[in-house]
Amino acid sequence: MVGVRSRNGWVIWLTLAFALLLSVAPMLEFMQVGRPLCVALILTYWVLALPHRVGLTTAWVLGLAQDVLLGTLLGQNALILTLITFLVLSLHQRLRMFPMWQQSMVLMVVFGLAQLVQLWLNALTGSRPPTLAFVLPALVSALLWPWICVILRGLHLRLNVN
Amino acid sequence: MAHKEQLIKPLFAKGPSLGIRMLVFAVLSAVLMVVDARFDALKPVRSMMGMVLTPLYELAEMPVRAWEGATQQISSRSELMAENEKLKAEALLLQRRLQKLATLTEQNVRLRELLNSAALVDEEVLVSELIGVDPNPYTHRILIDKGEKDCVDESKKNCVFLGQPVLDARGLMGQVVEVMPYTSRVLLLTDNTHSIPVQVNRNGLRAIAVGTGNPESLELRHVADTADIKEGDLLVSSGMGQRFPAGYPVATVKEVIHDSGQPFAIVRATPTAALNRSRYLLLVFSDRRSPEQRATDSAQAQEAADREAEQERTQGEQAPESSVAPAADTPAQEAN
Repeated sequence: MVGVRSRNGWVIWLTLAFALLLSVAPMLEFMQVGRPLCVALILTYWVLALPHRVGLTTAWVLGLAQDVLLGTLLGQNALILTLITFLVLSLHQRLRMFPMWQQSMVLMVVFGLAQLVQLWLNALTGSRPPTLAFVLPALVSALLWPWICVILRGLHLRLNVN
Repeated sequence: MAHKEQLIKPLFAKGPSLGIRMLVFAVLSAVLMVVDARFDALKPVRSMMGMVLTPLYELAEMPVRAWEGATQQISSRSELMAENEKLKAEALLLQRRLQKLATLTEQNVRLRELLNSAALVDEEVLVSELIGVDPNPYTHRILIDKGEKDCVDESKKNCVFLGQPVLDARGLMGQVVEVMPYTSRVLLLTDNTHSIPVQVNRNGLRAIAVGTGNPESLELRHVADTADIKEGDLLVSSGMGQRFPAGYPVATVKEVIHDSGQPFAIVRATPTAALNRSRYLLLVFSDRRSPEQRATDSAQAQEAADREAEQERTQGEQAPESSVAPAADTPAQEAN
């Protein structure tokens, strides 16, 4: 963008690729239901930290990649991730001032909304989870947020990503 | 100070507003979804992207593989010997069944000849390995390591195709729903969007087995309360939908509930295939001709056979030393 050259931009892409990897990593059967939204979490961190570098376009492309990876309709996860990014960007000014636990709370609501849209889209394509368990990933992700945030901030400051 | 200004500036760079950009992306996603669901235009894009991205599955599986490899390395000699013994015993049992199968197959072909129906083609298979499981716990889909570019013959005619049946050692597992160049996605029988036409092996009663979303259970739909079906019955594929080849085991009936409040009996069955345990799967290449084509082909084959028989007969009549009278020909054929 205007006059600012990106530094270590590859770190962002590497962490996002790692998030994609985590989203298909094998898990134990009983943990599957609560699989955290790794891609959304890591994306959210970068959107909050570097909103001029990571925005809706990144989210959309990443969502398409996730769609292909998971075999869902092309555009389904893209829509979800752009929605999350949109919400995070519009809450951006406030979210950055919040303490960690409050960020977690807000993100839980944001991810819950995203999961709700996901559920609706899944229902359109025919496979519908029978229970309320679909909000569990939002809860797990919110609980994981502080840790993800600390790890990524360490990486961010150490490598001076911009 | 100048540095700080540079950092902050991009935040206020004016482009289209956030809401408008969101709207554009949302519309774009919606259009993509509709196109992907209704038309085939995006399939090549998908398969190309799939080729790039599916190595992620293998990467994700790597720790599991490494662990399995390590445990295999240190598994004791006695364990291996025991496994070897077990496999030998199993092979022996299977060989015995195979001996019987040879005669049965021959008998079956002969009977079919008598009935003038199309010959039973022995199906070819391609062995593939599981490389990934769908992370969504509500869908039962798996990823296997064979795709469009993997063929069973040299001429590249019989390659992995959409809708191809997939088996494991014990029975049907599902069908291919997405083909990428070197991998494909398989929808399992127990996914709640999947159903398969089956019949009871004992008496040929037909039904539809629908997935329930539980890997251990299928449900038979619209089975009359008075139908002859009971616990322990083997359900085999009936070949009715022309997608799955007939005669492969699908499930065994677990329970039959007759509830007078319900219009139909509730029948639950357990899949015979180890849907969430099998690691090696078989892709079946059955006859892909349409029924009309098959009928014409078999009619032509029959005509050719008739002509040959006719020729033989006329030759036999011409030959002076032939002792078989034409009248005696018919009973002899019947005796065959």
